Amino acid sequence: MTNESAGFFRELGRRGHEPLLAKVTGSVRFDVVDGTRTDRWFVSIEKGDIMVSHEGGAADCTIRAEKVLLDEVASGRTNAMAAVLRGALVCAGDVELLVAIQRIFPGPPREPQSSRDVRTSR
Amino acid sequence: MSDNLIKILDGNTFVVSDDRGDIEASPTDPTGLFSFDTRFLSTWVLSVNGERLTALSTDDLQYFETRFFLVPGAGTVYVDAKLSVIRQRSVGNGFHEELSILNHDDEPADLTVRIEVDSDFADLFEVKDALQKQGSYSKHAEDGKLMLVYQRETFSRATAISSSQPCAFDENGITFTITVGPHGTWRTHLDVAVEVLETRRSDDGTTLAWQAKRPPRNMAQNLTRWLDDAPRLECDWEPLTTTYRRSLVDLAALRFSPLTASGRSLPAAGLPWFMTMFGRDSIFTSLQALPFTQELAATTLRELGMRQGSRIDDFRDEDPGRILHEMRYGEMTAFEERPHSPYYGSADATPLYVVLLDEYERWTGDTKLVRELEYEARAALNWIDEYANLQGNGYVAYQRRNQDTGLENQCWKDSWDSIAYHDGTLPGFPRATCELQGYAYDAKVRGARLARLVWRDPAFADRLENEAAELKRRFNRDFWVDDGEYFAVALDVDGRQVDSLTSNNGHLLWSGIVDTSKAKAVVRHLVGERLFSGWGVRTLAVGESRYNPIGYHNGTIWPFDNSFIAWGLRRYGFKEEAALLAAGILEAATFFDGRLPEAFGGYPRVMTKYPVQYPTSCSPQAWSTGAPLLLLRTLLGLEPLGEHLVVDPALPMTIGRVELLDIPGRWGRLDAFGRGRVDTSKVVRKPRR
Repeated sequence: MTNESAGFFRELGRRGHEPLLAKVTGSVRFDVVDGTRTDRWFVSIEKGDIMVSHEGGAADCTIRAEKVLLDEVASGRTNAMAAVLRGALVCAGDVELLVAIQRIFPGPPREPQSSRDVRTSR
Repeated sequence: MSDNLIKILDGNTFVVSDDRGDIEASPTDPTGLFSFDTRFLSTWVLSVNGERLTALSTDDLQYFETRFFLVPGAGTVYVDAKLSVIRQRSVGNGFHEELSILNHDDEPADLTVRIEVDSDFADLFEVKDALQKQGSYSKHAEDGKLMLVYQRETFSRATAISSSQPCAFDENGITFTITVGPHGTWRTHLDVAVEVLETRRSDDGTTLAWQAKRPPRNMAQNLTRWLDDAPRLECDWEPLTTTYRRSLVDLAALRFSPLTASGRSLPAAGLPWFMTMFGRDSIFTSLQALPFTQELAATTLRELGMRQGSRIDDFRDEDPGRILHEMRYGEMTAFEERPHSPYYGSADATPLYVVLLDEYERWTGDTKLVRELEYEARAALNWIDEYANLQGNGYVAYQRRNQDTGLENQCWKDSWDSIAYHDGTLPGFPRATCELQGYAYDAKVRGARLARLVWRDPAFADRLENEAAELKRRFNRDFWVDDGEYFAVALDVDGRQVDSLTSNNGHLLWSGIVDTSKAKAVVRHLVGERLFSGWGVRTLAVGESRYNPIGYHNGTIWPFDNSFIAWGLRRYGFKEEAALLAAGILEAATFFDGRLPEAFGGYPRVMTKYPVQYPTSCSPQAWSTGAPLLLLRTLLGLEPLGEHLVVDPALPMTIGRVELLDIPGRWGRLDAFGRGRVDTSKVVRKPRR
């Protein structure tokens, strides 16, 4: 069974520093709901330096979503801000952290060299 | 939109009703209570003893508050006014309405007061395009509230209606059965609250939905402070004072505070349909307003930076470093049926972001913010070379990757037929419009200044300056239409000139990309008969195939466009021509009580005598509101120079004496004075220098 969100968080933990978050200091907790189970990913950010763990209590920002949805967000098939607007991804706490951290999710998967890729070769 | 509609707003919450205060929306009719791009109320109709009411008068108290004076009975000439009804409405989290019924008779009046209530929860996009809803509706009364609820999967929006006086709720509205004593008054306070419901309730009240319900500011006090903070204008020509004041009040109304901005505001694009963050509009308006208020620019830079593109997303036309075009919050955006979460399809907002950052520093000396936004500014500069070079020739070009709902023209002239050859045919994509090259040039020059001054990276500064010089050299060669002596509006994908004569030439002056040797010829066009109508510069010149005096971007005159053209004329030393444009636009403003429309007709001034408003434009529109501010700046020749403010006035004689007092900036507060000496009637005919 694929677990794209878990993969994303593990990779994020290995990243160490993320320049997109260089101005950000704070903690974000992801509550990933999978049936009766809730997995927690605790992301602490110190000026772009990132630590990821399963441990941690209250966070400055809590983001809660079904695992199915978070897998889609983590793989770029769903846009995080749109999911927030439709209440599928529920955020509590510091909104700035949400807006900041959603930028590190990948874009939608692209077909390589598809006809939709309009960029001319450089 | 018809003119007798009454609009009040605060941020992105607004109410559009008829002159009785009633709302009777159809799926495509744009009345109602709107918030976060959703219509929360589509029916709100008052009756007394089964009769509709007639408006005696409507008081627009403030942009956020209005009062309706009504009497029972509809459609008769003679009104037997034994009763008066007053509705006073103000926008907050939804709206608040104080309903008063005055009995003028010696007898008590037994009344059934009824308000019909409904909501279609339409997305703004649905109101524009008349689309069908996919979710389900429910209505119920609970805890003294009437709840209207819309649900589609996890998406839920609700309207809660409550009253301070006892009433009966049913699914279609609320009813008061009352007796008003002789010469007595009955009064109730109605609250219409907008609710974004969430499946999970937070114990500490910190969910997004809760935060969206910010307590209404003390709006009157807030407006007074805003006006007090702005420079004071004293002037012989009274209409300019009126226009200036109108601009300040409208700009206050156009302020929009995203949830991430801790109460600070940026300019939204227009009232009421564009009360949201737009990259281009927020940046242009912030630029126009810089000599008057600097908070808007700072917030615009921060908020746009926070949402700068970070990945490739074809649906949203997003690239790393790209500055957003438009942000929306409605249902269609939520379900990714529209790309506005946010949408990035704009080719000018990104270079303009760097331009605004530099101009902001020149006025404020706020190097702290410039340091804070170094990453964003570098990413924006990188976007120009890395992602906008779609023709492979080093010019900024655009082509949407979202073929269904993306924007075809990603420049400010964004209608489908705005970029055309002289013969009227349309070029293919990608398109490299000329003003984009100007903005890119300016961004590089200004980025270099910031790199040297603040980021302490002289090597990067050198590189940017070299690139800018090279861009300018190539541009003056490739875009210059030799036989016409102006710059082509674009290059097509084959590198061929899209050769029509447009107002974009003025933006090129503003950006500084025009060779000094070519400036005179460009100016001759801008104030010549084909482009200049007597009121202002047309978007497209008379004689072009697609010219039409009421063509949206093909012949109308845009006050915003003209304000930047005037700035450009000043930049190249054409003070008198700048005064001519400023005089035309400011005189046009007097026909609109100081509130310039988005655009007006390109008919010659001698023909129509008054400016003909473009039929469907929104009003007030942010960059039209900002136009008189930028024109004042250009008339007075205000230019920051180091720690000083240079004042070099060139005013039309018709304006007389102008004093602008307490101009804020890195110098503290300074005054500027000027006296009208330019005879604008001689500017056009005068032989060129």
